[in-house]
Amino acid sequence: MTSADLATILPEIFLAVYAMVALLVAVYTGKDRVASLLSWISAAVLIAVAIWISVSGDLTRVAFGGMFVDDGFARFAKVTVLFAAAIVLILSEGFFSRRGSLIFEYPILVVLSVIGMMMMISAGDVIALYMGLELQSLALYVVASIRRDSVRSTEAGLKYFILGALSSGLLLYGASLTYGYAGTTLFSGIYAAATDGHVGIGLLLGLTFMLAGMAFKVSAVPFHMWTPDVYEGAPTPVTAFFATAPKMAAMAMIARALYDAFGAAVADWQQILALLAVLSMYLGALAGIGQRDIKRLMAYSSITHMGFALMGLAAGTERGVQAMLIYMAIYVTMNIGTFAFILSMERDGQHVTRIDGLNMLSKREPVKAMAMLVLLFSLAGVPPLVGFFGKFAVLTAALDAGLVWLAVLGAIASVIAAFYYLRIVYYMYFGSDEGPAIDGSMSVVQVTVLVGAAALMVLGVVNLFGLDGMAASAAASLVN
Amino acid sequence: MTAHLDVTLALIAALPFIGAVFPGLMIRAGRDACAMSAGWATLSAFILLMTLAPAVWHGETYSFRINWMPMLGLNANFRLDGLGFLFATMILGIGMLIILYARFYLSRSDPMGQFYVYLMLFQGAMLGIVLSDNVLMMVVFWELTSLSSFLLIGYWKHTPDGRQGARMALAVTGMGGLALIAGMLLLGEAAGSYDLTDILQRREAIQASPLYLPMLILILLGAFTKSAQFPFHFWLPHAMAAPTPVSAYLHSATMVKAGLFLMARLWPVLSGTDAWFYIVSTTGLVTMVLGAAIAIFKDDLKALLAYSTVSHLGLITMLLGFGTTAAATAAGFHIINHTIFKAALFMTAGIVDHETHTRSIKRLGGLRHLMPITATLAIITAASMAGIPYFNGFLSKEMMLESAAHTTWDGNGLLVPVLATIGALLSAAYSFRYIGHVFLGPVRDDYPHKPHDPGFGLWAAPAFLSVLVLAIGIFPQAVVGSFLQIVADAITGQHLHMHPLKVWHGLTPALLMSAIATVGGLAVLLAFTPLDRLWESLPKPDAKRIFDRMVETSHDICGTIANHMHDGQLTRYVAIFATGTVAAGIIAFVTGDYLPGTRDMLPVDLIDVVGTILVIAATASIVVFHRSRLLVLVLIGINGLVVSLIFVRFSAPDLAMTQVTVEVVTLILLLLALHFLPKITPRETSWARRGRDGAIAIAAGLAVGGLAFALMTRDFSTISGYYWENAKPGGGGTNVVNVILVDFRGYDTFGEIIVLGIAALVIFALAEALMNGRASRRLANWEVTQRYSRDRHPLMMVVATRVMMPIVLMVGVYIFLRGHNQPGGGFIAGLVVAIALLMQYMASGFAWAQDRMKFAYHTFIGWGVMIAGLTGIGAWFVGRPFLTSAYGYVHIEPIEEFELATAMAFDLGVFLAVVGAVMLALYCLSRIARRTGETVNVTPMDFDPSHPTETTQENG
Repeated sequence: MTSADLATILPEIFLAVYAMVALLVAVYTGKDRVASLLSWISAAVLIAVAIWISVSGDLTRVAFGGMFVDDGFARFAKVTVLFAAAIVLILSEGFFSRRGSLIFEYPILVVLSVIGMMMMISAGDVIALYMGLELQSLALYVVASIRRDSVRSTEAGLKYFILGALSSGLLLYGASLTYGYAGTTLFSGIYAAATDGHVGIGLLLGLTFMLAGMAFKVSAVPFHMWTPDVYEGAPTPVTAFFATAPKMAAMAMIARALYDAFGAAVADWQQILALLAVLSMYLGALAGIGQRDIKRLMAYSSITHMGFALMGLAAGTERGVQAMLIYMAIYVTMNIGTFAFILSMERDGQHVTRIDGLNMLSKREPVKAMAMLVLLFSLAGVPPLVGFFGKFAVLTAALDAGLVWLAVLGAIASVIAAFYYLRIVYYMYFGSDEGPAIDGSMSVVQVTVLVGAAALMVLGVVNLFGLDGMAASAAASLVN
Repeated sequence: MTAHLDVTLALIAALPFIGAVFPGLMIRAGRDACAMSAGWATLSAFILLMTLAPAVWHGETYSFRINWMPMLGLNANFRLDGLGFLFATMILGIGMLIILYARFYLSRSDPMGQFYVYLMLFQGAMLGIVLSDNVLMMVVFWELTSLSSFLLIGYWKHTPDGRQGARMALAVTGMGGLALIAGMLLLGEAAGSYDLTDILQRREAIQASPLYLPMLILILLGAFTKSAQFPFHFWLPHAMAAPTPVSAYLHSATMVKAGLFLMARLWPVLSGTDAWFYIVSTTGLVTMVLGAAIAIFKDDLKALLAYSTVSHLGLITMLLGFGTTAAATAAGFHIINHTIFKAALFMTAGIVDHETHTRSIKRLGGLRHLMPITATLAIITAASMAGIPYFNGFLSKEMMLESAAHTTWDGNGLLVPVLATIGALLSAAYSFRYIGHVFLGPVRDDYPHKPHDPGFGLWAAPAFLSVLVLAIGIFPQAVVGSFLQIVADAITGQHLHMHPLKVWHGLTPALLMSAIATVGGLAVLLAFTPLDRLWESLPKPDAKRIFDRMVETSHDICGTIANHMHDGQLTRYVAIFATGTVAAGIIAFVTGDYLPGTRDMLPVDLIDVVGTILVIAATASIVVFHRSRLLVLVLIGINGLVVSLIFVRFSAPDLAMTQVTVEVVTLILLLLALHFLPKITPRETSWARRGRDGAIAIAAGLAVGGLAFALMTRDFSTISGYYWENAKPGGGGTNVVNVILVDFRGYDTFGEIIVLGIAALVIFALAEALMNGRASRRLANWEVTQRYSRDRHPLMMVVATRVMMPIVLMVGVYIFLRGHNQPGGGFIAGLVVAIALLMQYMASGFAWAQDRMKFAYHTFIGWGVMIAGLTGIGAWFVGRPFLTSAYGYVHIEPIEEFELATAMAFDLGVFLAVVGAVMLALYCLSRIARRTGETVNVTPMDFDPSHPTETTQENG
């Protein structure tokens, strides 16, 4: 345990210390009365850490004998996660405070889960991976059922917990098989065990089960079942959180595990990922069509999007990783903007999530409707909005890797999935005047986030803010 | 062909977007300023375009490249050749006229700034399509036209028709555009480049590619939806609810021609195959005839024009589908002509609507006398649409008929010419109807609004176009001859030798067909009333209703299936999860290279067989009798017992001891908890469901079992040797398991006791929560359904447990002390002691036992963790890492020399934590029990033999 090791994970240590100090301070001071302040401070801390990480040079540093890797890839994913968590935290503060239900554990749990995510992203070892994953998951289980008085929230938390525990078990099973055959838990050691481009059947089974466990975290079909229920049942800010930061972290974790540990056997996992991708894209696209609740719809939407991101990974090339990173960064931004809007949906002071409440929104709230229109089109992947470039990146990556059928299936899935985004647009612009429409105004924060995200979707067409270049160097540091 | 690099190209493409910024700002300065700000951008772009004309005229192409997102392989490449030039001219030229027209058409209450912003955006997108060299950038602009047209169509938000129209237009064209993306990706893949300049050179490679057919279908899907080809034609008429300037611009002149542009652009590489011919020309032919037939009987002016547009687009599509250079030339020519006359027609229709406040032909007629200028313009342009000589439409229609006359369809030489003639006939008919029923005839006295000719601003644009109609119609070669040459060259990608354009070619089959069409058209108009009645009586599928029903049906079906699949039942989710996992495992197993195991099997004796049968039988019985919970508990006990025997069998006494003690503790606690739960699990699922779940479970079980078998039948490297060697020298103990627990993996154990403690505290917290609220009331109203045994405190048991107590404690200490070298240790000792205490509570009652307990159980846990932690920290004081153990030998007379290790203090922590955790759980259960009014636990059966008369009351 040298000081260099500790220096490498200093951001994580700092956050962990912050979380524990914050917990103690809050308990012994105002408890829920300081929750608002605590949320803002936590968000500021998360952003500060994000900036810290993004300016910490472009070296690849390995700590604790390879258990923890800090490279460009990790930094890219971590910065995305941190920013997403910070913004969602600020949005949540407004939402909960307005209803008087903000409790001080919430920001702390978010910070704890973020630490877990950072561990997942940087894990260079099966044990470290599992530790990060569980830290993240445990915090998320609690967060999902944070509204203890709501049956739906607790049910969501319980379902997520039971299925999550199952998937963790599966991951562990796979990890133990992997360890049994590779003789080490280090990714680099597993990599070395996969000689001549193929892994033995034991490692293959280990890989498969680990992948199944990890697929749960990105809600890839058929391990997605928790997603609609949890998205719908959890309080909306929590749903917003679920849909953003953890997805990026889990995707990064999968990428690192596949490339660092099983990178010598691309052919062995390519098919699995491609299958997961196709199933996710189609199930999400088809099942989303009939939804009437926007949170449930966003659940299926995220399943579809994860399918696309997995398609990037399935390419098994540096370009594929780059595409996945671009896709996820764009996806997270779009979702944050969309959820800023969903959080503001109210009728008579009650939070509502039914889609038909959006009827003729454009008449009453032209700016909001326009921003939502941009985001929805971007989610659908319609050019020239930024969402298209994410889709484009993964499709070309798949084509490049010779997975023509996957790319074609993906393109068709994007057509089907476009249907339900457009449907919301219809409601907003051409719906009926009758029926229960949402009223209520947006807070300054919500407007800023919503319009900001929409503006990014439009302005990004110029050069994606250099995102493609950053993703490229990040991908290069992973696939070497 | 030479290529010029010129930045002007990028500037032309950018100007409309720059121009889109201003109208929104200028609207404050007045409506004229607003329109002019849009107009100057268009005009400058047009002038810039014209500066490039001379070179394009010489068959040269311009190109300009910008690195856009090189990391993604996206470049912003622009290209201008004859075809692009034609479309750019149309877009900017008609654009200017529309800006002028709209300035006077829109009323004061319409938000004009917004309108011009959308219009300029649209114009920029259209220009982008025709100037892109990169097919992907083309797709980007393609979808941008869908978006901006959506905003334009929806501009008049107050009409429900407008909403419906926009909805359908967007759904159809937007999704077509996404299909196009897929097609373009495949095209790029087949051609090896996304640059049109390269793609157009690789005809052979593309047509030989196995991707050709899917690529063709996807690309055509994009083109057909955009250009309203059958069966996607239905969206266009419904989009007509938009303001007329929009209809004129989007739905006649530009946007709907984007599909044609695409087919023309890719004509050199895609055409010439059977697939291309049959798909494209057949679609075009059907669309042409069908659109024309519907158009005749439409009473709405704009609907008539919309269907006529559909028909003419079909005509051009058909020409492109023929795949001959002559037909392609005709297509290029008709694109020019149609744009000119149809834009003008829409504008005149808009004027009529504007002036009379109606678009219904049935309410119009005789306008010739009231608005002569408009009538003249309308008649000129409609005559062109009908294909009357000396109007421009005639020329391209002749060329079309000429091509059609030479086309055989699946061996049939008559089909295409006849249908083409019918199409032309119907086309003439609706053109005549437009003239006859609107402008000719007697003046009526019931117009909704007294009409008169509008101001110059409104009719200037159609007038200009009418002049063009006549100019081209009378002097074709002089006006458009050379222009058509470069367009045709660009479409076909070769230098064509073209005959000069002229009105008369002598007596050709085409002329005959044309004559039939014109005369037939007149005849249809004369017989309109009976034909209309006949048409009305025909059953007609309403495309809009079909579309709506399709949308609703798919919506409902998807919703039903999705919600059925995700119905919130955890069991279903777990079933899917398990199935997915098993499937993944099987796939991995099948694709992997499985070799049978190499290790020999151990000999099997009778005890093994009995043990195995017991486990299997007990497990199977659990499944069968799972509804009876008490029975299941007993069966689980059997399993646990056999498992501990298996540990004995394989020489793991430590594990066996742990297993047995854990088994006892958990079973007792479970038994106590079961008291508050239903004794029978209700049957909630059907046989089929259970059968399915059973099958999944058996599959998963077999898979896991098989996997375990496969793993255990092969050699593996084990790390146990390391522990054997280092347990004594490193940890000072010969019981490797214990040394691992307290030394090698002391950290783990330390974490585990903390977890154990937290778990106990959580049980406590949850049980306390049960004491409040609804659960508490339910407990308070507990009704005992079962009979209690009469002897609730069996004397024998009370006595036995009390006698046993010190002995068991002694055993506990013994196990604890010997743990380091012999099977035993703090964990097992803790469990043994906990069992002893449990028995006291069970036999003598909780309250009695509790009275004699001097320490709170929470503190046990706390002390346990603390002692373990302090032991670890102790190592720091001698300069060793956390939890390093030390040991030494102590000799106290008269006891023999014995060993003391710091690990023992650690083990003490483990011991205390275990006892505390178990007892805390018991305490919680007991509190719940007393809430239900249970009294047996309150006082024990205690006799004091020294005071025989003073008996304690026995409880029952």
